[in-house]
Amino acid sequence: MKQFKKIIPSLLLLGVLSLSYRSAELRRFYISGRAQGTTYHITYYAADSLLTRSMIDSIFDQVDSSLSLYKPYSLVNRFNTSAEAVKMDRHMRKVVKAALETSRITGGIFDMTVFPLTNAWGFGPAGQQPLPDSAAVRNLLTCIGSDKIHIKGNWLYKTKPCVQLDPNGIAQGYAVDLVADKLEALRIHNYLVELGGELRVKGRKQPSGQKMSIGIEAPGENDFEPVMEQVIYLDKGAVTTSGNYRRYHETNGKRRSHLLDPRTGYPISNELISVTIVAPDAMTADALDNALMGMGLQHALRFIEKRPALAAHFIYHRPDGSVTDTMSSRFKRLLKP
Amino acid sequence: MDRRHFLEMTGLLSGVLMLSPATLLAHREDAIRIGIIGCGDRGQGIMQMMASLKEQYAITAICDILDFRLEAAAKLAPAKTYKDYRQLLDAKDVDAVVVATSLHMHYAIAADAIRAGKSVYLEKTMTYNIPEAQELVKLCARYTGQILAVGHQYRYTPLYFKVKEMISKGYLGDVTQIDCRWDRNWNWRRPVPTGYADEQINWRMYKRYSGGLPAELLSHQMDFINWAFDTHPDEVMGTGGIDHFNDGRETYDNVQVLLRYKEKGMIGNFGATCGNAHEGYIFKIKGTKGMVSLLPDKGVFYPEEAAKKELQTVDGVSGATRLEWNTDGGISIVNEKMQDGTWYALKEFYNTVKTGTQPVSNVKTGATTAVCVHLANEAIFSHKILSWKPAYNF
Repeated sequence: MKQFKKIIPSLLLLGVLSLSYRSAELRRFYISGRAQGTTYHITYYAADSLLTRSMIDSIFDQVDSSLSLYKPYSLVNRFNTSAEAVKMDRHMRKVVKAALETSRITGGIFDMTVFPLTNAWGFGPAGQQPLPDSAAVRNLLTCIGSDKIHIKGNWLYKTKPCVQLDPNGIAQGYAVDLVADKLEALRIHNYLVELGGELRVKGRKQPSGQKMSIGIEAPGENDFEPVMEQVIYLDKGAVTTSGNYRRYHETNGKRRSHLLDPRTGYPISNELISVTIVAPDAMTADALDNALMGMGLQHALRFIEKRPALAAHFIYHRPDGSVTDTMSSRFKRLLKP
Repeated sequence: MDRRHFLEMTGLLSGVLMLSPATLLAHREDAIRIGIIGCGDRGQGIMQMMASLKEQYAITAICDILDFRLEAAAKLAPAKTYKDYRQLLDAKDVDAVVVATSLHMHYAIAADAIRAGKSVYLEKTMTYNIPEAQELVKLCARYTGQILAVGHQYRYTPLYFKVKEMISKGYLGDVTQIDCRWDRNWNWRRPVPTGYADEQINWRMYKRYSGGLPAELLSHQMDFINWAFDTHPDEVMGTGGIDHFNDGRETYDNVQVLLRYKEKGMIGNFGATCGNAHEGYIFKIKGTKGMVSLLPDKGVFYPEEAAKKELQTVDGVSGATRLEWNTDGGISIVNEKMQDGTWYALKEFYNTVKTGTQPVSNVKTGATTAVCVHLANEAIFSHKILSWKPAYNF
């Protein structure tokens, strides 16, 4: 018993020592949940659990209030129903500016004013509709184009009342960036943020010091059996994927992609099945992935190779119908751990 | 609209539109001409489903011993009506029949139909007892030109095929437990119209007509386990009683059976009560790597922690709409919206009749499940543990 008494203090001391040692170490924290109609997960390495769920919820709530088509009170819905203009908040200003820039560099394949088409083809909040005929499409095209909106101070104007915005191709990426900004503000420098398959990564896994690995999902047969087409290793940047293999409508055996070409007014139909973009931030990647889907493989590859900050991976149909993949030169370098 | 009215109206229309009634009634040439025997809830449900499958089916005859049922069914399809199924079986304009009668009539009608040269879509459970199941298997072996499909319709949905595939590919690991329930909180009775006897309408309450809850409900889940694992139980034990609705019924309103699958190392718990509806339908298949939870049209896979890590080999996944975990840690097994099981079953019945191939739910699998149901009922009523016999291997 005497001996035992001696042991206890030393054990306690050991415990205290190990605790204090541990607190200096970076620990892994993991938060997951639902937002924007999908799921998110955040992994970060820090000495303590600095990022809370309420901080994350607050970020997603702000984005929803500004940019969600599914919230009747959102700013974007107010713009869409307004005759002329709304006063933007900082989220809308950032996203609209980025959208206009993306529209410019992609020659209008990406265009945030695509919303009337989104609705007409049954991919909007109203759900499936009778398919539009060519006259209806022509008519809708008169409401579409980045030249039909302009920014003046904090106000966003439209040239005609029917001009409406669809932020879905860009808002998710923007939300991911906001969470990353929050982590940076908390002085967390090793993290992975994922929302609906769009990711932003920085730093390394701790304590191993390994880069984060990101699987690029391929259209697999079963959801319970995800197929990784490629795995890339990244210590900084964003990865987003756009594809038509899960979201589509079908009539008489003919599939219609949810990705619409704002220039023609019709669903995009080319050899591409999915495009994955690596870019410095998620908003850029998110806006570009849809645009590249619309460009077709050759044009998209040239577009990426010309821009040193970008890398891309493509899954596509060969003319004989078989499925294969290819990637840009910078994407290839990311395959090494 | 009754038949006379219908003919009058079509006559009227033909005068106006220069169409003969025959044209109006015309269906695609390769549609199967169907006779419906038994026009209760299930028979009429099948008729309505067939109305949406016009290229496959034309209902040319309907039969029921109860007048009000026959009248109701006649409003659904302009078909010839029969009170005696044997006369329907003699009809030349019937290629195949649906048998949706009370259970005790299944064997007699199905056997007569096969002998009359008709293919048969026979509602579950296949037969009232084990000897009838054995006889029907023997009979079908002699009449190879016709199809006999058993209406375990869930079996035909893509979801249940997928789950069978998951099991055979080992996604669930070693399955040791199966939990099934099919509960409700009402007396499970239909209103009896004036002039009819209770046993004519509520035949499910009477032992001489029905196998009760195990036959009418739990047979679907027992059938799926037999099929998905290519097995049958080796031992059956059970209990039950008339525990809440003591209203003159003979079949039990509360049952529980335990099926031991020795070769597969599994225990199946199958229960049904008329005294609580909170959980309703439960179908859970539990293995060392994960559990599948099934509803008739929805399925979720819950990987065990270790298997989850295997699925998440990377730190993050980028995909168009990537693998989505439910809030409760499950993965949806199929994402497209499922049709009703009957829709798939009837499509498959059409294909098998046209091509002469055996349906997945056929006389042999139907017999295996019928044996399970009867052993379950015998165990419930006799309080004995019953064993599978070699004579039950079909």
